[in-house]
Amino acid sequence: MRVFPDTIQSSHYITFDTGICTGCANCIKACPTKAIRLYNDNPTCFSDNCIRCGECLRVCPTGAISTTTYELEALQKDKVSITLISPVLYSQFKGVMPNDILHAVKKIGFHHAMDLSYYIEMFLYAAEEYIAENRITGRSPWPLISPVCPVVIRLIAYQFPNLLPHIMPIMRPMSLLAKEARERISREYKIKRDAVILYHLTPCPAKMVPNRSSFAQENSLVDRTMGIKDVYAQISEQLKRMGKNGIEALREESETQKISGNCLLWGISGGEIAGINSDKTLAVSGLRETIAYLEKIELGLFKDIEYIEFRTCPEGCVGGALNAVDKYIAKNTALKMLRKLGLERLIPHDKVILLYENGWGLSDTTQDELQRIFGVCREHISIEQLQEIEKILEQIQGKNCAACGAPDCRTFAEDVVMGKAVLNDCIKLNKREIDKILEPQ
Amino acid sequence: MTAFKKSYNIKRRDFVRAGEASINVQNILKSLNMHHKLIRRIAICGYEGEMNVVMHGGDGILTVEIDTGKIMLDIEDTGDGIENIELAMQKGYSTATEEHREMGFGAGMGLPNMKVNSDILSVESEKGKGTYLHMEFNISAD
Repeated sequence: MRVFPDTIQSSHYITFDTGICTGCANCIKACPTKAIRLYNDNPTCFSDNCIRCGECLRVCPTGAISTTTYELEALQKDKVSITLISPVLYSQFKGVMPNDILHAVKKIGFHHAMDLSYYIEMFLYAAEEYIAENRITGRSPWPLISPVCPVVIRLIAYQFPNLLPHIMPIMRPMSLLAKEARERISREYKIKRDAVILYHLTPCPAKMVPNRSSFAQENSLVDRTMGIKDVYAQISEQLKRMGKNGIEALREESETQKISGNCLLWGISGGEIAGINSDKTLAVSGLRETIAYLEKIELGLFKDIEYIEFRTCPEGCVGGALNAVDKYIAKNTALKMLRKLGLERLIPHDKVILLYENGWGLSDTTQDELQRIFGVCREHISIEQLQEIEKILEQIQGKNCAACGAPDCRTFAEDVVMGKAVLNDCIKLNKREIDKILEPQ
Repeated sequence: MTAFKKSYNIKRRDFVRAGEASINVQNILKSLNMHHKLIRRIAICGYEGEMNVVMHGGDGILTVEIDTGKIMLDIEDTGDGIENIELAMQKGYSTATEEHREMGFGAGMGLPNMKVNSDILSVESEKGKGTYLHMEFNISAD
């Protein structure tokens, strides 16, 4: 794991350990935006093209790829540190009550650990309200796309700008919580808002964004992010210690937060639409599936669907690349805990709708802004270059072997035309040349 | 500037792969930095055309041609053909089978949608022989 102290901010999302990397090209082929190349057996990521989906982390067989993270030691320097807990964390410890997990997280060095339940409920109410409103006003085109998965938002802005108006303009629960938490704690401690350091404990590879990247504007509500797997051992240790001292006694002295089953569902694909009272919904998970569906929406399909929940991680956030526990085990843990907690809502519908009507919770990032942040990264070609690419493809007659260091022949041809690769890198082409020489006259 | 031209095969009754050609065309247009609204219009027309071939046509070919100022889409098939083109151009008129409708297709919006989304649409067809669609899109229009 490569650790960046908070004074050095790298614009690179992922780092490669070239000592471990075998050059297998799995990551190159898996990358949906074709942002990785092998140059002289050294993998390189063009961070401008990277949408932080974490697919490369998932497919790397040797663990040579890692994301940037913060070390727990950094916590000691913070005046007031708060960690916002992704509910997926609860699915990582079998049979442990969410409140005990919150307590354990606090014990590893945070001043506060905050749960997302309330904000998930607010989001679900607001989403229902927006859908109902949209049936009358037709303000956004059907199907509405869930704004929750950050990778989906980037994917759309980068590759499917046509679909930007489909994104439901409601703030994600985590953004709502971040906004609230900073306000509340700075008031409570009577300190400046920026003296409150917000951490986010997350399974989501997309949230691991160094501040100075082009994605900063989108993520500025949280100061620092930590992957669940990076602190999993410490939390386990605390839970073990708490067990010995008697969890029950501790529970009374610690601040308890009400946690509803809705937040356990949240981490599983389909958990979001389960909380929305429309029949015309779909839940899609996995990167390939998401791309296939977005392509179809662009062709004008699924107009009869009102809301689509996309999660680019398989099975939803429980499949996040930064989880410690396997996604199917985590899913089981969450569903079993759900039986204990129930799906009863903690906050009344009317109160939230009142807030919603005051514009609270509506995202203030506009579609134009999203397009500006992400859309600029794409390189474009001219018709002449396109023709040249087709000519090279015909010449290569390749098999997408990726031996050249590009994910497929088309991308290789593009690289050649753009001056980023030379035709000679193609093994297929070279072999044919050699065959010609060896052929008896 | 010489025109860029590329063709894609469409297979009869291949509902799973229907749309592939249009997605390919769409990706090419995206890489050329065409306006997204123009791309959307072409993609919708391409897809409707592809679905028509898959449902009613025999095997077919979709050809995209990018020229100065305009993009052309030709969809040719050797299938059922259209008996009454005027009727087929009407919204809601459909000759789709029960099976097609069960799959969620055959709303009778194919040709009307193409008409709305293209700048020029011409339909040539003979019953039993096949259909030839020609569409043009002005690049400057968007």
